[in-house]
Amino acid sequence: MAERNVDELKKIRDVVSQDLLGGRIDLLLGWEKGHYWWQSRPLFAAREEDLEKLTWDSFCAVNLSRYLLEELKDHQKVGVLVKGCDSRAFNRLLQDNMVKREQVILYGLPCPGMLDYKLIVHYAEAEPVGIVEQNGQVVIKTAAGEKTADRQQLLMEKCRGCLYPDPVVYDQLLLEPQGVKEVEERFKSIEELESLSDEERYAYWEKELSRCLRCYACRQACPYCSCRECFVEQENPRWQGRAYQPSENFMFHLIRAYHGVGRCIDCGECQRACPVDIPLQELNRKLIKDINELYGHYEAGLDNETEPPLLTYRPDDPAAFSEK
Amino acid sequence: MSTALNETKANWEPLIVAFCCTWCSYAGGDLAGTSRMSYPSNVKVIRVPCSGRMNPMFVLRAFQRGADGVLVAGCHPGDCHYTTGNYHGRRRLSAFKKLVEFAGFEPERFEVRWISSSEGDKFAEEMETITEKIKALGPNRKMRDARWQSVT
Repeated sequence: MAERNVDELKKIRDVVSQDLLGGRIDLLLGWEKGHYWWQSRPLFAAREEDLEKLTWDSFCAVNLSRYLLEELKDHQKVGVLVKGCDSRAFNRLLQDNMVKREQVILYGLPCPGMLDYKLIVHYAEAEPVGIVEQNGQVVIKTAAGEKTADRQQLLMEKCRGCLYPDPVVYDQLLLEPQGVKEVEERFKSIEELESLSDEERYAYWEKELSRCLRCYACRQACPYCSCRECFVEQENPRWQGRAYQPSENFMFHLIRAYHGVGRCIDCGECQRACPVDIPLQELNRKLIKDINELYGHYEAGLDNETEPPLLTYRPDDPAAFSEK
Repeated sequence: MSTALNETKANWEPLIVAFCCTWCSYAGGDLAGTSRMSYPSNVKVIRVPCSGRMNPMFVLRAFQRGADGVLVAGCHPGDCHYTTGNYHGRRRLSAFKKLVEFAGFEPERFEVRWISSSEGDKFAEEMETITEKIKALGPNRKMRDARWQSVT
């Protein structure tokens, strides 16, 4: 009910099935349809029949590179379908020495941006039963009839600010490139928050973070959270208390965001994975904005050669505190 | 809640945690002491090997458990005992300061200063200044762990 382009899917399936059957890869990481038509979950295809389930639609938001951390333990060679953000996530893992380049084959999929089901519902004003896409338009089908919307209006929050829809690293590019996007208002919500008073900002975060269940889904989905032991599970010293209260929620979220300074690729997986819709990407974007202003423009995951800003220094660096 | 939360400004005294690098700032504090300079007893000094050793979780834990202000003091850039520790610390702590301000902390609550081992007077002066600033701001309730009573 949500297919975007049948030809694209056929092309992808042809290439990967050839490699899987030819033994070039042991496993393919892709997407398959989830429980609902608006969900696409990761697919772990090791046999030919698994590839039947492969899908490529506007809901393939899950970042697959993160799954390499587990899959490379059991497989010698893994093929991964990578969108722009997935490819930068792969670079990030490579830079952290968490994966080996020669163990992975990347199939590049230039990405038009993924759609947000909540926005579709909001726009349709009724329960949608499916969508059809053509020429930048999305036709939403509901029981009451059809409604057409501009595709840009239904994009996920994380895709609106995306600068690199094309994979930056791949072995084989399977679709036509999208080109570098112009994004005007990437930091707009951050600037709005910055203009508030300290009290208002604290109240904002206290309210947003109060919903946190500390399920750590944000961490599980995140390509920079690749530590084998995370501080939240460390027993001695126990940095992260187990109590359900604002203080502990702040501790977790500030430190989680801080661990991404100069490493966050702004893929927004944390926010997408959050079951209670905490605007986690705002914390990450704030740090990207600040570190860019202080130490020069840097986009994590674009290449492996440029050193992340916190791994290096200049003697004449500026500082955020009054003393230089 | 606890009596600490009902304290009036009149009888309240701030608690300030100062993380001092062992080679410069801690020695600067020593010099202030041996030179018989006085600085407010609100400041509790914790010795760290280097300002580059500062884990931001130290700062947040201090706020959770009663600190009204946190100061990190290290060697002047270029004078680090480990050559580059404070250069790295400067970048990390700058990013962290921006983050705690974004979370809603007043900028004065978390500060970084460079104090060398020969600057006993500067050490006393900085402790004086930060205590005054925090006194003017009043008690910190942000990120306070509700189970933890103020020790002051």
